[in-house]
Amino acid sequence: MMKRILTIALLTLVTVSAEAQSTLRIRGSDTLGAKLIPSLAESFKKTGGKVSFDIAAEGSSTAFTNLAAGTAEIGMSSRKVKADERTLCRSKGVALNEIEVAWDMITIVVNAKNSVSDLSKKQIMQIFAGDITDWSEVGGPSGPISVYTRNTSSGTYKDFMTMAMKGREYGKNSQKMAGNEQIAAEVGSNPNGIGYVGYAYAGAKGTKIVTIDGKAPNPAAVKSYPLSRPTFLYTAGEPAGNTKAFIDFCLSPAGEAIISKAGFVALSAK
Amino acid sequence: MPPASPTTPGPFGSKLLRKSSRSMLGMDPQKIIKTFFGANSGITIVVLVLIMVFLLREGAGFLSTYHHELEVYRKAGLEFCDIADTPLKQQQQLTSALRRAKASAASDEAKRALGDAEEAFETAIEPADEIVSELKTHATETKELANEFHTLEVGRLQLLAAAYSTSDPTRKADLLKEAELSKVDAPNYEERIAAVIDRREELAKALTDYTTVLGTAAVALPDAVADVKTAVPAHIAEVHAAVKKLETWSWQEPVSFFTAARSFFFGTGWITNSSWQDFYGVVPLLTGSLLISLVALLIATPISVSAAIYTNQFASDQEKEIIKPVIEFIQAIPSVVLGFIGIAVVGDLIKGVSQWEILSWIPGFPIQERLNIFNAGFLLAFMAVPTMFSLAEDALNNVPRAYSEASDALGATKLQTVFRVIVPAAISGILAAILLGLGRVIGETMVVLLVAGNRIAIPDFGDGLGVIFQPAHTLTGIIAQELGEVSRGSSHWQALFMVGILLFVISLSVNWCARTIAKRFEHPKA
Repeated sequence: MMKRILTIALLTLVTVSAEAQSTLRIRGSDTLGAKLIPSLAESFKKTGGKVSFDIAAEGSSTAFTNLAAGTAEIGMSSRKVKADERTLCRSKGVALNEIEVAWDMITIVVNAKNSVSDLSKKQIMQIFAGDITDWSEVGGPSGPISVYTRNTSSGTYKDFMTMAMKGREYGKNSQKMAGNEQIAAEVGSNPNGIGYVGYAYAGAKGTKIVTIDGKAPNPAAVKSYPLSRPTFLYTAGEPAGNTKAFIDFCLSPAGEAIISKAGFVALSAK
Repeated sequence: MPPASPTTPGPFGSKLLRKSSRSMLGMDPQKIIKTFFGANSGITIVVLVLIMVFLLREGAGFLSTYHHELEVYRKAGLEFCDIADTPLKQQQQLTSALRRAKASAASDEAKRALGDAEEAFETAIEPADEIVSELKTHATETKELANEFHTLEVGRLQLLAAAYSTSDPTRKADLLKEAELSKVDAPNYEERIAAVIDRREELAKALTDYTTVLGTAAVALPDAVADVKTAVPAHIAEVHAAVKKLETWSWQEPVSFFTAARSFFFGTGWITNSSWQDFYGVVPLLTGSLLISLVALLIATPISVSAAIYTNQFASDQEKEIIKPVIEFIQAIPSVVLGFIGIAVVGDLIKGVSQWEILSWIPGFPIQERLNIFNAGFLLAFMAVPTMFSLAEDALNNVPRAYSEASDALGATKLQTVFRVIVPAAISGILAAILLGLGRVIGETMVVLLVAGNRIAIPDFGDGLGVIFQPAHTLTGIIAQELGEVSRGSSHWQALFMVGILLFVISLSVNWCARTIAKRFEHPKA
């Protein structure tokens, strides 16, 4: 009798732990994965989701390499999937499924001491492409511009190229930083620095937001801001089980509240 | 200390090492132990060979992949657009100089004159600019077609190969069907390039018109912008050269493998994940790595060598007890921790110091970037000191006692003995120590990734010594930063492996040099 109880107890333990053990591996964009998705994951667990999360955010490209290799359940991306990435996934037998989760606004930041507070779209393109190399060219005090960009694996890197630079190459003087935080830190410490970050990172110490043709990034008017973009989650095939539960949570009112709080714009609010 | 007597091993050792009549597998325990140690040293050699094979296997395909990409670059007409684009970029530099002059001009009149000149420059280039950007859109489309065809074709061949190797008939049919579905026509380069070639005359005319307008506009420029005024004729000559190049350009001219190799080893641009064309040229990365290593060596060598001389020759036993472990302890600090120190402390410190008035004579001061070559070199020097110190100290230790005794007997002072006898006798070992320190520095990754500033460009040597306060990117840093994101087997992936091979070759030759030097000047065994 005792033996039987023990066996049942052990069996239940095993099944319970098997359930609790199920892990959602999420890979991809630093813009989404550094703050937003972890806080969504936290609240999802609090609302009773029996799942543990394994999140690594090293740039949108890693979302697709991981999905193709089967080493992630969900991919985060701050840009749409590229044609060759879709082909890569297809060649591995993975059909990508795209879910829009939130809107982000790429925010141009300069050092708080900089007197320049508004730039035109053309000036931004010229600064990042390396045509304008001195602040005096855009009405500031004279001083060489230090341009900080994300590195090549970032979706923001690519998005910024298409949205703000007409597909042109970044100038040779640009410095490639690992993430939004680093860009904010360098711009905050360098009076001649300029960089771009996700809206959620715009309030960093020592930096200030530059308006674009007079338009400041504003969650209430996403559509009219020239550098706003949707961000996505990708899954391999239709989501099911825990994956589906988590994505549904992200799109629910509770999830949207977290999205707005993290500095993104929820789909219903735009 | 007297050498440990071999006749008194511990109780366990005595059992293990004594000659015994018992044997296992026909070998006595002594032989087994010997084989075991021999096999271990063999494994390290095998692993080294495997690493080389792995690097070569992944990197080997690079030249042919890159060659293919450069071929598409030419056939699709991207090269054509780039030739036309070079003078356009130069024009941007000229207008940039004009804008700067305008901002610093004193009178409103001068400002107006410069503003007019800037506008004249801008409008003059517009027609050519428009044509180039239209051609670029067309060329990009061609390239996308070519890439899609290439990807699908490779996939199709894989499917076919899988189909022929499977024995299951239904699966075979499925695979064949899938292969059939992914069959697309190869892009017709000739037809697509015709649209580019057709506009060659128009583009050449637009560029020539631009030079005429520019020539007249330049004459009217005020003397305040003399540098622009003198740069204009050279620029016009470049435009004419570009026009000539455009006229002789042909999409059918084959791209040689030599071109692909040259554009890797001597290419000045490392441009990846581009929406136009990826280029893999290692020169900017190599210069970054070498400059950082040079700075590190210049700082670390005097410190570690003089510390070694002092410890070995002058220090009391008590001092030795303190100095040696402390220096060797530095090695225990993880490099990522040093990287954080570099960002948080050293960077701000250098930047703060560079703003002092009395130091403004130093080239490059005051500095703008806190993450720069000097900062990275400084931290790497710190990491190299333990290696260099220990090896240099060993070298001094190996100088036969007879040398110093002879010197003493001749009545030389301690300083004379050290600097005229011992250091010259140990110089080969010290050189080897420096080279091995260099090997350590050039392969270091984390610190340079965090602290060097990651700017992929050849540093501007026009600044003189100030060049060391510019940011740079390195061979190791680029691998760490980009390998995680690339898809396996792509040209970018292979390029990164080529960089790895290059690094491997560099460290191997540095180590080989160190060994040869150490061997060449070996002391007679005393």
